[in-house]
Amino acid sequence: MDLQIIGFGVIGQGFAEVLARKAAFFKERHDLEFNVVSITDITGTAHDPAGLDLVEALRVMEREGAVIGYPGAEKMSGVDAVREVEADLVVEMTPSNIETGEPGLSHMKTAFKEGKHVVTSNKAPLALRYRELVEMADSKGVHFKFEASVGGAMPIINLARENLSGDEVTGISGILNGTTNYILTRMKKEGLPIDTVLREAKELGIAETDPTYDLEGIDTASKLVILANAIMGTDASYKDVKVEGIRRVTPEAVKLAAEDGYVIKLVGEVADHHMEVSPRLVPKNHPLNVDGVLNVAQLKADVAGEITVVGKGAGRVETQSAILSDLIGIAKKTA
Amino acid sequence: MKISLDVVLKDRPGQLVKLLEPISQKGGNIISIVHLRETVKEGRVPVHVSFEIKDSSTLEEILEEIEKRDIWVSKVGELSHKERYTMVLVGHIVDTDLRDTIDLIHEVEGAVVADVGLTMPDPDMESSARIVIDVHREVLENVLERVDEIARKKDLLVIRPLGV
Repeated sequence: MDLQIIGFGVIGQGFAEVLARKAAFFKERHDLEFNVVSITDITGTAHDPAGLDLVEALRVMEREGAVIGYPGAEKMSGVDAVREVEADLVVEMTPSNIETGEPGLSHMKTAFKEGKHVVTSNKAPLALRYRELVEMADSKGVHFKFEASVGGAMPIINLARENLSGDEVTGISGILNGTTNYILTRMKKEGLPIDTVLREAKELGIAETDPTYDLEGIDTASKLVILANAIMGTDASYKDVKVEGIRRVTPEAVKLAAEDGYVIKLVGEVADHHMEVSPRLVPKNHPLNVDGVLNVAQLKADVAGEITVVGKGAGRVETQSAILSDLIGIAKKTA
Repeated sequence: MKISLDVVLKDRPGQLVKLLEPISQKGGNIISIVHLRETVKEGRVPVHVSFEIKDSSTLEEILEEIEKRDIWVSKVGELSHKERYTMVLVGHIVDTDLRDTIDLIHEVEGAVVADVGLTMPDPDMESSARIVIDVHREVLENVLERVDEIARKKDLLVIRPLGV
């Protein structure tokens, strides 16, 4: 199967690395071979119908930090690459822009128009234009999968849609952002104020330089919308979510909660068509009480009852588990 | 004994009085009334009323009178025991008058603030408080609404328990 990689940052490079490392496993276990015919980042596109050398591409990134440094690469945009390079599937891993959904939105739409399947880790286009994208993929008869957009390695969308396909999911609640969970965990354990913990998280690379999306609950809200749309069949945008972040949570609040047997967690919740992200009191012995950068989601299903999934919510390598699962799923269906 | 009563009223003037009269005539003490106006269906409005009366024979007399007045009783039962809910507030809790905050919560019939814990790290910084409220499940929504109103007015962050 011929793949195009759009977006070659941390997640994109992690994908190339895992794809190269596990090529023999995919062949042996699934009888599948993946051929990356193009890689695009903001500087340009490297492409070769015979397949690019992923190890070399990673070396170029380490050396020059830009795809344009790959031998023969040209100044071709993502949209042009999707239009002009022949391939079966586009792996879209550009950064999320929750205001516009771009450039991911255009990459996805162009891919559908070209009759290409899409696997993505990019939340914003889904949180803004879910229904439109799904309908477009359907009308073109291509697959569109996005497990990696929510909860990194934590399998939740495919779990609900495939393993719980006979159930009706009536509610979802969870901790969907590893950065804020890390911050709240450190505040609880060390009694430190949020600013101090945030500085530490930035140094460790757990928080981004601009952590606004995480702290304000916007990242959690985007993921909540994707889950509600994909699992409960709603047609919501992230603007439909009532959002309160964790900036105002004090170490004293954390301590007062602990004295009564609670931890404070940033929880996203869908119940009775009401969607909310806010800091909540979670009983210490509750399944949602997971610490550090872990993510957790709990589904309320009418037949199965409550199902809880815990996993690493982000990470260069961990996220690939979700991308690979989508990729292999599509490859097997279309083989 | 405390009674929880659900009825359906015709959506026209004077109906609520028709429901409440028999309760007060038999010495009942009304705890709360919730008028579910957003769920008006076919000209009928569901109404939930909680009240306290002497004994179950009084309750039967009240129900008989209510039904005579052509009011549909959809559910009747004894009010549950109070449950305890913890909330944590962050903001200028003392400056915005903690006493008033507690009074406003007490205005919701059936709600009692059972415990308050307060931490003020520095007079200039936001303080944090834990408030424990005892309330019947039936009127919990009213309490949550009231706390939301207070929070909006006094710019407080409310950290609610999960599932509430």
